[in-house]
Amino acid sequence: MTTTLRTLTLAALGTASVALAADGTITGKVDATPAKYLEETVVYLKGAKAPGKAPETKSMDQKAMTFVPHILVVSQGDTVNFLNHDNVVHNVYSPDNEGYNLGSFKQDEQRSYKFQKEGAYTQLCSLHPEMLAFIFVAPGPYAAAVDKKGNFTIAHVPPGTYQLAVWNSHLKASDKPVTVAPGQTVTENLSLKR
Amino acid sequence: MSRGALGVAVVVLVLTVATPAAAIPAFARKYQTSCLTCHTVYPKLNPFGEAFRRNGYRFPGTDSDYIKAEQIAMGQEANKKTFPKTAWPDSLLAAIPISVGANGQAMIVPSSTSSAGEAAKAVDGSTAHFSLQNLVAEAHLWGGAAFDDTITSWFELTFSSGGVDVEHAQLLFNDIVGPKHLFNVIVGHGFPNVTQYGPHSSYLADQLVTVVPVTAIFWGDPDPWTLVDNYTGLELNGVIAGRVDYAVGLNAGKIAHGLAPTDNFYGRVGFKIGGMRLDGEDSSGADPDRPWAETALGIYGFGYQSNSRFDTTAGAPVASDTANTYGVGGRGQLGSAELNVGWYTESHGHGTDTGGPVNAKVLFGELSYVVFPWMVPAVRVETLWVTPEGGTTVRNLHIQPGIAFLIRPNIKLVAVFDYESAHGFVSTTGGPLTPGPQAWQGGASSWGPIQIAPPSSGENTRSEFESIGLYLAWAM
Repeated sequence: MTTTLRTLTLAALGTASVALAADGTITGKVDATPAKYLEETVVYLKGAKAPGKAPETKSMDQKAMTFVPHILVVSQGDTVNFLNHDNVVHNVYSPDNEGYNLGSFKQDEQRSYKFQKEGAYTQLCSLHPEMLAFIFVAPGPYAAAVDKKGNFTIAHVPPGTYQLAVWNSHLKASDKPVTVAPGQTVTENLSLKR
Repeated sequence: MSRGALGVAVVVLVLTVATPAAAIPAFARKYQTSCLTCHTVYPKLNPFGEAFRRNGYRFPGTDSDYIKAEQIAMGQEANKKTFPKTAWPDSLLAAIPISVGANGQAMIVPSSTSSAGEAAKAVDGSTAHFSLQNLVAEAHLWGGAAFDDTITSWFELTFSSGGVDVEHAQLLFNDIVGPKHLFNVIVGHGFPNVTQYGPHSSYLADQLVTVVPVTAIFWGDPDPWTLVDNYTGLELNGVIAGRVDYAVGLNAGKIAHGLAPTDNFYGRVGFKIGGMRLDGEDSSGADPDRPWAETALGIYGFGYQSNSRFDTTAGAPVASDTANTYGVGGRGQLGSAELNVGWYTESHGHGTDTGGPVNAKVLFGELSYVVFPWMVPAVRVETLWVTPEGGTTVRNLHIQPGIAFLIRPNIKLVAVFDYESAHGFVSTTGGPLTPGPQAWQGGASSWGPIQIAPPSSGENTRSEFESIGLYLAWAM
């Protein structure tokens, strides 16, 4: 590596680390009434995109007649690979937004779908009507599913003021304005109800 | 006591043995809540329990929000978007929504000269002053579940020495169109909603409404039509703006055998002022410290036409009888004190064994006070007037002070003292019963062989302290 290239590389790494250091974090807790729907919750920054972010590929598996994970958060433009590790045939379809049906596929086969629109997509299997999962397509990478206790963390958020929004399969909550300062962590709690 | 009269007494006793079904432990499991959420001394419902029953066994708001028991999806909510390519979704409880229970009564007969004492002596020569014989008179299998937020079910199978009876098997289609609670349809076998309250809304008797089995009294009809009983049919009901309720229904009534037209009709309308709304929405009016208490007044009126076809005796032609019934009722509640009253007139076109009309008038009331959630003293009064065409009016009075205890939220003990007085006795002349005066069948005689017999002296008035019933029931 030449001295010039090494210098440019270090400069680039330095810029990136400065940028990451300058980003903030949003954390908090969601409570839900009734609580049984709490785990089907995603917190995200409304309209917050990340220009230049490369699309990613994530996976949703089907194991023991269950979609895994139950909630998958992706960004607009990302692709999801749907796997089947059961020894029965599964199908994947969603009636939401533009809707899609990836057909039926056997064990160890997979199908893919690229999510171009924001929003929540219910994942269903036409062969096993009890199976259910959700893919939440956020406008950018600033989204997180809550854990079992309702805690969430959205990291690497550029400083600025945003609308903190929440999606839930059954419940609603109002958006909240949130301001992220460089290198700081801001805490916001949200309440979901009918 | 004549053998025929004794037979009628047994029939009426069997018909009126308590069946404590209003809500059940299956619901307690489903919502993982105590029986006391809906009941005081079960099956008596508190205002929330009445709203739950009226809503088709659903919580106010969104019923599924309150279900804590594990459920198995028969499809997902999103399948509604793909219908008709997919089946409309619902769910099953992971555990079978079944409850079991038993009930019966021990009897104390104070005197060998009382009607019950005389009846016992007539049968086996001895007087049963205390009998545990019927302490377990019935066993029950109850079921109750929701298919989704609008369709629910209710099931009750009763086992007794008389066999197995499907008392309830209903599908309830709720909120079928329009505003919530306005239009609901019940399909199947169960109680017509002729009052504003659950059929078992009594601390001391099996049923809130005192009934008169006219065709049993005069004809020996083994399965008489009465105002409150289980019938197979359809009912449309609803609650308007939380304060007005109605029900209209059509059912098959009592048909001895064969296929007969379904031509029994009824309707009811009522309102409630104060307290919790009839549908329980908004939870206003509820007392968080005393869930049974409220200050409210409910009034209702109803009409019913029944057309019964029944056997009078083996091999005899089927008789038919049309009864037109009109009545009013109400409940006034002031905190923990509650008064239920009702009055109706029931006119049978073919009420006597000679084919003549009979008019029965019934007035009943029950005053209760919830001292503690587990102890409720009450007094119940039932008065009947029965007038066959061309005959004199027969009058009967029951005064029943008693006290209901919850030993546990799902075990109860009720003690009821029964005083009965009759003036005049029903007399038959040409039917299957032994001609002459018959034993009086009084009111909602839920507490054992409550019957007053004509005095041997030939007088037409008799009054007596008749019995003490100790009623025990449990459910789980």
